[in-house]
Parts: sequence; C-alpha cells; structure tokens
Amino acid sequence: MALQRYTTSVDGSIPVQALLYNDEELLANQDGVGIYDGSQKSPEHQNGTVSVTTHRLFYIDSRREIRNSFTLDLSFITQTEYYAGLFKSSAKVTLHLSGNPTESGPSEQGVPLAQFDSWECEVCAYRNPPGLSPAAARVCGLCGVPRSAIPAPAPVHLSSSLPSSSSTSLAASSSIHNRTEVPCSACTFLNHPYLRSCEICGTELPQPRGEFKSAPSSRPLTPDPDEDGAATKMMKISFRKGGDKPFYAALKRSLKGKAWEVQVALTSTNNATNAVGMSGISGILRTVESSAQGRENNMKDALQDLEALMVKAKDMVKLAAELNEKLTAAASSAVSTATEPEEATFIRSSLSQLGLQMSNAPVTLDMMTDERKWHEELARELARVLQGLSGSNNGMMKERGIIALDEVWGGWNRARGVALIPPSTFLQVIPHLHACTEPTIRHRAFGSGLNVLHTPPYTNAAFAARLSSYLAMGGPKTTIEIATEEDLTVGLVTEMIDEVESDGGICRDDSSAAITGGGSGTGVEIRWWGNLFVGYVWDGQE
Amino acid sequence: MSLSTHTTISGFLLPSIHSAPPFFTEQPNPTTQSIATEQWIRLILSYARHRKLFVLRVEDAETTDGDWEEILRNDRINRKVLPGHLSNFMKVMVERNLAGYEPPRQMRSVLVYWRLPEEWAEVLYDWVVSSGQLSTILTFYDITDPPIESPLTNIPIPLLRKAIAILGKTGRSQLIAIADGEGVRFLPRSK
Repeated sequence: MALQRYTTSVDGSIPVQALLYNDEELLANQDGVGIYDGSQKSPEHQNGTVSVTTHRLFYIDSRREIRNSFTLDLSFITQTEYYAGLFKSSAKVTLHLSGNPTESGPSEQGVPLAQFDSWECEVCAYRNPPGLSPAAARVCGLCGVPRSAIPAPAPVHLSSSLPSSSSTSLAASSSIHNRTEVPCSACTFLNHPYLRSCEICGTELPQPRGEFKSAPSSRPLTPDPDEDGAATKMMKISFRKGGDKPFYAALKRSLKGKAWEVQVALTSTNNATNAVGMSGISGILRTVESSAQGRENNMKDALQDLEALMVKAKDMVKLAAELNEKLTAAASSAVSTATEPEEATFIRSSLSQLGLQMSNAPVTLDMMTDERKWHEELARELARVLQGLSGSNNGMMKERGIIALDEVWGGWNRARGVALIPPSTFLQVIPHLHACTEPTIRHRAFGSGLNVLHTPPYTNAAFAARLSSYLAMGGPKTTIEIATEEDLTVGLVTEMIDEVESDGGICRDDSSAAITGGGSGTGVEIRWWGNLFVGYVWDGQE
Repeated sequence: MSLSTHTTISGFLLPSIHSAPPFFTEQPNPTTQSIATEQWIRLILSYARHRKLFVLRVEDAETTDGDWEEILRNDRINRKVLPGHLSNFMKVMVERNLAGYEPPRQMRSVLVYWRLPEEWAEVLYDWVVSSGQLSTILTFYDITDPPIESPLTNIPIPLLRKAIAILGKTGRSQLIAIADGEGVRFLPRSK
C-alpha cells in the first residue's frame, strides 16, 4: 500500500536521464533489484533497475517498464535502514516513509503541468526556463524571489507557508503531525499517530479512528493509515545482484543534501553561500559570473582536445603515408586484377578527403632534427608548390611573375592540408627559397608593407626599365592602363609604380592641377610621365 | 611628347618644360621636386625681370588675369599651379634670399628679388651719380617716380630701404628725417 500512496508511476521506456528535472542530478544506478512493499514482496517489482538522484528515487522495471516503473520523492523518506544480507538473503535498504502524499500530491501532479512552461519573474522579468524540480520552480532562478502565483491549483497550506519558510515540505509534515498526534491517556505524552501504545509509559493509546473518518469527502480515496499499520509505511529495496553499499551511500548523501528543500541555493554552485546572498543584484551578478565561468571551462576543454590532436599530427601523417604505400604496393602487385578492392578505394578517398594524398607527404618539424635543415626542406616544398613539379603545369607562379605573400601562404597550407605552417615559420623559410627555385623567386617588401614573391622580370630595376620604355613609346599612362599592360592587379602595380617614382624613374601629372575639369568628382587621375626633369636644360628666356 | 618653347603675348619666351603637365604637379619624389622647383624659380625670376614685377602673392595662382597669369597658367595644356604649390616655391625663394616676405611675418606675398638688394644698391647709386644728384636730398618719391623713367621706377619702398641701408654701410648714403617724411642724401665715394 505504501508503494501506491507514495510513488508516482513513470514511463520506464524513457531513460532516467531524460526524466530528470533540470536541477536534478543522477547519483547512482543499480540493476537487479526487487522492491518490498512494506514487509511483503511486491510481485510486480521484482526485477528492475533503481536509480537515485538528488531529488527522487527511480525504479525502472526491466520487463514491463511502461506499466510497472515508478518514482518516489526523497522528501517522503524519514529514515533508512541498511541490512547487509545473510546467506541467501540479499542485502536490503529499508526506507521509512512519512508525510502525506495526498497533501502534496496535487502540487506534484499540478505543478508538473505548469512547470513545463517557462514563466517570467514579476520582479526581475527573468524568463525562467521550464523543467526545474517543483521546489526550484517556485522561485525565480535569477533573483531568488518566490513565484507569486503558481498557475496550478496549489494547496492552501503550501502557498501560505511559502513566504515564511524555505522548507515547505518540513512545514507541511509538521502540520500533519500536529493534527494527528495522539495524547497518552496516562502520561499525556503526544504520541505519533501510528503508534498503538505510548512511547513513554506503554499504555495502550486510544485510536484516533474517528478523526480520520471525518476527513473531507473530497478525498474519499485516502486510505486509512492505521489499517495498514506502521509496517506499510516503509518499503524495501532488495539488492539481488549486489551493489548495495555504493547505492546506499549515494542515497544517504542525497538525503543529507536535501536538494528538494534548498530552493534558492540550488541555483548557485556548490559553495555554501547563504540564501540571502543569492538574492538581489549580487545574486544576479553571481549567477552571470558562474555561467561565464562554466562557459570558459567548456571552451578550455574543447581547445585542449584540439591541441592534443595537433600533437598527433605527425603520427597521422605517418600512418597515412604507410597506408598509402601499402595500397600502392598492393595495387602494383595486382595489376592483373582489374579493379582495386573496395576497401582500398574507400581508404584512399578518405585520405584525400583529409587532405592526406601522399604523393608528396608534408614535412613536419619532428621529421627533421635540425631547424635550419627543416627550413631548407620546407623551402624545397614551397618551391614545388610555387613552380610545380617539373613537367606539370600547376604551380602557383607558373603563369604569374609576382604574387602576394598572403596568397602564397594560404595556397601552400591548402596544399599541405595537415601540419599547417604558421606565418612565423613561413617568413623564416622565404630567405631559403631563392636557392631552390629556377628561375629564382625572391621576396620583396613594398613601402606600404605589402610583401610579394616575384620572379626576376619583376625586380624594381627591370620593371622601371620596362615602364620607362613603355611610357616613352606610348606617351603618358594612368596606373590602370599600366596594370592592364602588365596584367597585374591595380594595387600591386600602384606599389611598384610608387617604388619607381621614389627612385626618380618617372614623374606624375595630377589632374587636380587642371584649369578646367580637374580635381572635381571622385577620381583624381594621375598620369605617369617619364622623368622629364632629369637632364632638362633651360631653354626659356634668361 | 614633343615639348617646345612658346612666346607669350608680352614677348616672353617660355621654356619647353612649361608645356609639360607634370611641371604643374608637386612631385612626391624630393629629388624630382627639387629640380622642378629650381626651374620654377628660374622661370619666376626671369619673368619678373621681363615684366618688372616686384610682388608675387599666393592669390596670383587663383586669379585669372593677374600679372603672373602667363607663367602660372598654361591654357594650351589645361594646367595651372595650385596655390599650395606656389607658396612652396615662395618659401624656397625666401630661404635662398631670392625673395623676401613683404610685409614681414606672413607667408602669402613676397618681394621678388630679380635683382639682389646689393645689385639694387649699385643700380641706385649709378642712377644717382649719372643723374647728378649726389649730395642732394631726395625723397623716396623722387626715386620711385622720377620725371624721366629710370630702372628704379616703381621700386617698392621696402626694397629701396634695403638698398639705401646697404649703401649706408659703405658711407655712401645718409637717411635724413625731413618735415613730411624721410629723405636720403647720397654722398660721393669716400675712397
């Protein structure tokens, strides 16, 4: 009978984790348990898994999990006993239950409907998320002010006790005690209603039968507690497959924690701050702080994974290279068989998706012992990327004589795919590049800070000579016309022209000096002239 | 790109570089710009000498029919000197003592020394000697606006003072305060 009164049935086909409230935590699991209702075995609950959380006890039946599973609020448990087991008798935990489940029942059944809505706090307008445990759902998660109106038809004594006491269930149970305690006729000690004889003097107590009979007719189903006796106010969990000790420890811890009572402190972290400190602005700030802390921790964990992965880069490359070699060997040995086995194709495609096509395995630092040698090796690799393998036509600089450094860096790392080169290393490699390339590729930095790699025709001197003859042949030109002629981007040509100008190779004609039509509108046009000042001899009037 | 010299209405022979648009643009390259400035100063001085112009103002770069229009603008190539550019030339000229800010302590107008103050001093003395006015007291007006036109006609008073001061150092002139202003008396060479 205790089982029926104190437990709520749940759909056991849902995992326990999904049944938890947001602020509830799963502490321990044990399978192979049976349930005793009072001192009798409960025939429907003889093989299942029992879980204890901060708020509740779950029993999930292993055979008929939808019908026979139930949950028990830990707030009903007043006392526990542990029996270690003897011979064939398995270890048991006895749970003594008290409190009136029908009193708090409506709130347990009413609030679940309401608590899966989110609600807005009237004080701070914080939007409280759904899914908190009934106790926690009664106060605002941000400011700690109790929810003024619970939409569910809450019992009268519960809502009246809310503002004065933080432990509603205690207040509820004590009010029940007051009403039902039985005074001894001999010594006047107020005995627990479930006792048949006085606790002090042993005199038989008058049975308060009539009082219960007069209970409101709106609760006709309330069973008579004294018919079942004290024995039915308990239930036992029998551990048929062991695991009783850790489970009992977890249960004890959970009961001691009284998570269902400590409403406000629930929202904070484990540190034992008093409830007053958690409300108001400081509470809000602390909540924000702790959530930021949590986010940071998550971030750190995530990045640690990434770092661990980078450490493994060498191994990955090696493994991929080996795999590829084996596959190639297998393929060449079995030329006669028409097709590669399906697995080999799969592995190859996976490798290429990972960017690990092994015709040119990327060089990583740990393959090299000497840093200088490493840079030279990298320079050779970069030269291949820039100029392509001999015969092939896919080098980045095959068609272009000058290319910006950032583009080279991006293209190189794309070609590598793994073990990417940081910019610092890239810059260290560049001085070695000219030794590995034919025609020589050199680095050049412009005044604006733009860095490029270029082939010999794009040195400053070569470009200046080409530009001067071009201007001499075709007359003054704008930057855009020169860019078209050189087939380079305007930005790059601007840099190169500026350099020629600062060397005195050319001079400019700014149309803002025009008498009519110049300097207006957006485009101030500059035409480039050969430097006609150099070598000019005065031919005007003395 | 064939540049040629050009003769203006006033009969001044412009140099061929005056027909090149880059000549009117400030060049960022300091070497190039210094050559251009050199040519510009030479052009300004020779034109001032040609027209006997003494005052050059920054505003002359903006007005359309000033005395300097023939060199500061070139309608044939649609180019003109921008005021900022011109004031840079003026600055360089003052630094080289080829011009002086007049009035002093501003930078928008200069006296162009197409003859240096020392040269003016000699011209003044020669004129005084040749016109037989030694030891005579002359007012500034007598010098700047003589009945018969002289090389000193219209010379600005500040420049004239400089020339007189230079002569005074060698004892050839003497400033005298007279009733309605100042006068000057030129003395024969002492040695």
